[in-house]
Parts: sequence; C-alpha cells; structure tokens
Amino acid sequence: MKPLIELNNISYKYKNKKILKDINLKINEGEKIALIGKSGAGKTTLISILNGIKKQTNGDVKIYSKSFNNLDNSQKSKIATIWQDLRLIDDLSAEQNVNCGLLCNQNLIFTLKNLLNISTFHKAHKCMDLCQLQSSIYSKDLKNISGGQKQRIAISRSIIQEPEILFADEPFNNLDPKLCNYLKNLFISGLNNYKIKFPNTILFSMHKIDLIDGFTRVIGLKNGEIYFDIHKDDLRESYLENIY
Amino acid sequence: MRKFKLNHTLVSFLPIIVFLPITYQIINDFHIGGLELFIDFIKSAFTPKINKEIINISITRLNETLFISFISWIISIIFGSVLGILSSDIFYKFIRIPLFIKYFLRYFLNIIRSIHELVWCLILMQIFGINISIGILAICIPFIAINAKVIREQLELISEEIIESITSLNGDNFSSLLTLIWSPIVKIIKIFGLYRFECSIRSTVILGLFGIGGIGTSIFLSFQALNFNEMWTYIFSLSFLTLFSKQILKRLKVKRINSNIILAIIFISILITFSCLYFLINLLINNYYLSNLLLSKTIFLNVFNFPNDFLKSIFNTIILAIFASGIAISVPPFLLLISQNKYYIITLRVLAFIIRLIPPTIIILILLMFNTPSLSLAAITLGFYNAGITFKLLNDNLSEIDKNNYSAFKSIGIPNRSSWLIGIFIKESRSYLSYCAYRFDIIIRETAIVSIVGSIGLGWQLKESLSSFAWNEVFIIICSYSSIAIIGELINDKIKSNIV
Repeated sequence: MKPLIELNNISYKYKNKKILKDINLKINEGEKIALIGKSGAGKTTLISILNGIKKQTNGDVKIYSKSFNNLDNSQKSKIATIWQDLRLIDDLSAEQNVNCGLLCNQNLIFTLKNLLNISTFHKAHKCMDLCQLQSSIYSKDLKNISGGQKQRIAISRSIIQEPEILFADEPFNNLDPKLCNYLKNLFISGLNNYKIKFPNTILFSMHKIDLIDGFTRVIGLKNGEIYFDIHKDDLRESYLENIY
Repeated sequence: MRKFKLNHTLVSFLPIIVFLPITYQIINDFHIGGLELFIDFIKSAFTPKINKEIINISITRLNETLFISFISWIISIIFGSVLGILSSDIFYKFIRIPLFIKYFLRYFLNIIRSIHELVWCLILMQIFGINISIGILAICIPFIAINAKVIREQLELISEEIIESITSLNGDNFSSLLTLIWSPIVKIIKIFGLYRFECSIRSTVILGLFGIGGIGTSIFLSFQALNFNEMWTYIFSLSFLTLFSKQILKRLKVKRINSNIILAIIFISILITFSCLYFLINLLINNYYLSNLLLSKTIFLNVFNFPNDFLKSIFNTIILAIFASGIAISVPPFLLLISQNKYYIITLRVLAFIIRLIPPTIIILILLMFNTPSLSLAAITLGFYNAGITFKLLNDNLSEIDKNNYSAFKSIGIPNRSSWLIGIFIKESRSYLSYCAYRFDIIIRETAIVSIVGSIGLGWQLKESLSSFAWNEVFIIICSYSSIAIIGELINDKIKSNIV
C-alpha cells in the first residue's frame, strides 16, 4: 500500500541552525499519530513542512503522491491544520471564523456572504456544539471570548472542513483536562450525532503525555531528529525520559 | 433574523458604486476626437526629447521647484510648530496668557487650512502678480495650519500623569513646558514633517501649472504647445526629483540624530525662514498693485449679489468630493483583490507612481481628449490621482503585514482572492479606512484643482470671478469652500472616531 504522506531526508535550516535533520517518515491512511518532544525539538516546523507553509531545505515531501505545491485546491481542502497560534480573525464573530473552514470549497461570493454575516451557519453551529461551545457565543466577537473558547473555535474550524488528514499543533492548549480528553476521543473515534465526517488520518503534536492513549503510533522528536517512531503499545517510560 | 454586518473590509469596497453614475455619464459624453493626439501623447512617453537645451531647462526648473518647495516647507514647519504649541492646551497650563488666544488661533487656523494652496495662489496672483514668492506664500498658508493642527494633536496626547510629574518638580514654567513638548515635537517632525516635504513638491508642481514657475510651468507650457516629447522629459525629471528626495527622507527617518544637531538644524531653519520672509515681504511690496487694493475694498460690498447657479456649484463641489473619494477608497483594494500575481502588483505600483506623478490638471486635460467637461470627468481625475496615493499606502502596509493567516488559508486550498480578503486585507482594512477618512479632507480641498480646469463646481466659479475682479463673489466662494471643508472635517472626525 502506498503511504498517504511520505517524507524523505527532510532537513530544515533557519539562520544556519538546523531545526530538522534528515527526517524520514511514512504515514499511512487511518493512522493516529502523536508527535511528542520538548519545546524547540522541531514539532511545529515539521507540521509547517507537512502542510506546505514552510519549504524544506533538503529532501522531499509527498502527500497523495504529489509534492504540496502540485496539489490542487480540492486536494488541499482535504488537509486541515489546527495551529498553535490559532490563526483566527479578530474582526469576525465566532461562527464566521468557523465558517472560514468551508471557504476551500466555495467561491468569492460565499466569502463575501460570510463577511456580511448572511451565510448559513447550520454546519458551523453543529461543529461548535460538538466542541461544547455554548450557543450564546456563536455570534460573539472574538474580542469578548476566552482563550479556551478560542481554542475550540479553531478546532471547530478544522472539523467543519471535514478533512481526510488533520495536522494539529498543541490543539488542546488552554483547555481543562476533561475537555482535552473529550475532544481527543472525538478525533480518535470520529463518532458524533451530526454525522460530521472526522479525519481518518491525524498527526497531533502534544506536550501532555497523558493524552496519548488511543493513538496508534507515537513519534518522539529530539533536537530535530526522530528519536523513536513506535507503536503506542511499545512506548516505555525510558523513551519519554530521554526526550524530555 | 440574522443581523446584517457591514465590517471595515466590505466598507472599503462599497464606495465602488460611485462608478455607476460616473460610467453612465462618461459613456454618454464619449468621443474619439482626440484619439490621434492621445496616441501621440502615449508614444511620446517612450521618446522623450533629450538635448542639451532641454536638460538645461529641466535643471533650472527643478532648481526652482526645489527652492519653492524647500523654503515653503521650512517656513511651514517652523511656523506650524510655533502655532501648534500656541494653540495646544498644554501651553496654557504653564504659560499664563488669556485663553481666548488659543480659541482664536484654532478657528483662524481651521479656516486658512480649509482652503487649498491653489486657491490662495490664484487670489494672491491676482493681487500681487506672478512671481515665485507668491508660490511660497500660497503653499505656506495652508501648510502652516496643517502642521499646526498635527503638532497640537500630538501635544494633546501627553498624559496628565506626565504633566503632573513634571509640575511636581516646581521648575521654571517655560523649562517644564519645553521638557514636556520637546520629544513629541521632534518625533512628529521626523515622521510627519519629513513627509510634508513630498507634499510641498507636489503642491509646487500644481501651482507651477498655473504659472508660478518651476517644472510644473514647463510641463504645462509644453503640454499646451502639444509638445509631448518635451513634456515627458520634464515629467521624468520630476520623477527623478521625487525619487531622490524620497530616498533622502527615508534615510533621515531611520537615522538617529543627535540632539545638538537637531538644535543646529532648528536654528539654521529659523534663520532661513526669517531671511526668506524678509525677501518675500520685499518682493510682495514691490509687486503690489494699488488698483487691486482699491478693488479689494469691494469685498464686503454686494456680498449677496452672487450668480444664480452658485448653489449648484456648491452642490457640484460636494458631489465631486464624494465621487472622487469613492474612487480613491475603493479602487486600490479592488485592484489588489483581482490578483496577487507578483508581476501584476509591480505593474499596479508603476501605474500608481505615474498617476501620482502627472499633475491632476494634466490628467483632466488628457481625459478631455475623449470627453466633454463634466462632474464625472473631474471626479475620475481627482479620484484616480488620489487612488495612486491610497494605493501606495495600502500596498506598503499590506507588504508589512503578518501573513500567517493568509498562508494558513492557502494551505487548506482556499482560493487566492478569498485568502487575500480574509487573511491579509481584513487586518489592514480598519487603518486603511481611517487613512481614507483623512484623505477625504484633502480631496475636498483638492476639488479646487480639477474644478478650475474641468469647468465644474466652485473652482470654475472662482476663476471666473477672479478674472473679472468680482471680489465680492471671490469672498463668498472662499467662505463656501471653507465651510464645506470644515463641515467635511467635522463629519470625518466622527467617522474616524467610530472606526478606531
């Protein structure tokens, strides 16, 4: 079976400092991967290369057997990212921000309707409900929303996209343990009453080790290199001690 | 029912509706009578006349332009600073002089600021005749008031806490005042004052078109003689001066200047200012026409005896300002929305530079090759000239904006235009609109330039009244201009505070 994502000898340099060194990685469809490592290990850079934001210094990345630049918009729309810095739009309301996840399959008119607040928000509300956001905040401006709520708006924006692949960089920041567990399980199982299609293949970068239950594979990054890449059941305490 | 929201991003595009009436009128008045001339005009841009004589004239004219703009810039900075301090609240907290001086100064400056330098120039020319000193004086009058307003606003930002901390030291009043205002004034002169030099060059060129001297006069004379090759040589030499001065100002802005050097510059500037004023007054006295003085006594006579279509002219001036502002606000974001291709953006930048470079008077004369004089034609001229300026500002600001959201939206396959709209422009739209509100003030004043040539609005009326020495009409027109500008400014202040 051809891997869905393939990284061959990926290196990334920034101001003469090697952030990533010779990363080789194959991700198959249906895999749930937890990417762990301490701050500065290269997790965010790796995700930014996977979703095409950063261009690697050496090596090549293949998604759907193509390099990222050769993917068309419909293929790109099947890849979603939850950013560490959320990348929400301050001037829009919560539901308008969530609706931005739909723009990949729509034309400029839909964008204008969303900006004018005359778009349909049913799906956005479903996704926000799945993330346990109360209806009272749907139409609130981001300025009046807490950090945890913003985090869930960013998560809702990725869910509404109904992607096949999801990259998430510290997706559970600002959330309490109960919510973290609930959302993680939602992404792992994909089961929901609204019949929203959840991504089959996920790669989550995480600090909270207690959340790795349910993932099929764990990748440990240390100083820009893959320190271990194992099945979740093979994870030993000693591995974690070495990377943190 | 869902609440319809009109955010800053969409408001920036909304004024594009002014194109509906404008396009209708332009199409109706369209003719191809000047096609050959226009082709000749465009062709000449690629074959400018270059010989020793033309180069010598260009250098002499550029020197004149530089002289007028530099002197008027220095004078307006010095007097603007002084009047800005004198009309600020902080001054009266330390110096005990009657408060009515502050209010008198503010109203007086508001009135002289509201009238465009071209209007001042035409009036002064009629009284004193044509000479360079008129150009300097005409630019100085509104520029001093503009600088004074900006400096006063900057001084009003000094917080009460800082004022209290300085007053608690119980120092000499004048020293305390100087300590408080020194840094804000140096800062504003460095940011805004240097930019005013560019404005001064632009105004000198515009006044030059009306005969005051400098490169503007050569551009206009060669245009009038249909000598387009020569005209393009002058325009290119003007572009050289603009780019050169921009580079110098850019370096000055980033350079950290020692306080002693600043003091020396201020001292030298004051010396230059007063020497120039001495020569200016001498020149004016020598050129003063007594007959005009006698005529000017009729200003207050028969003020109500104005022409029948005077109200129509006022209405046209307001509509002209609104239409031109609509174009200046909506065209830049609309053009940038069309494509984000690198070469397309470079082409737009070049076009915007050319539009900024060619004085609006020449632009309207070119457009008259295809159309009859109308409000729409004047609005297009003024609108696109200002769109060149708003485009530059918008594009410069957008290039500095953080593009994280844009790249995030692109990475999930959102089409280019939507990504640009919600990833980049949305961040800048608020400050862009705020700048456009300020630009609207300027456009109201600039209606004078196009309406004089374009046979529309108060400018045209002013020209007619000046030619016939009808000082009572001139007086009413000046009052009308001033009222429109002041009311526009009041409305704008309200809009600006809402945007912020």
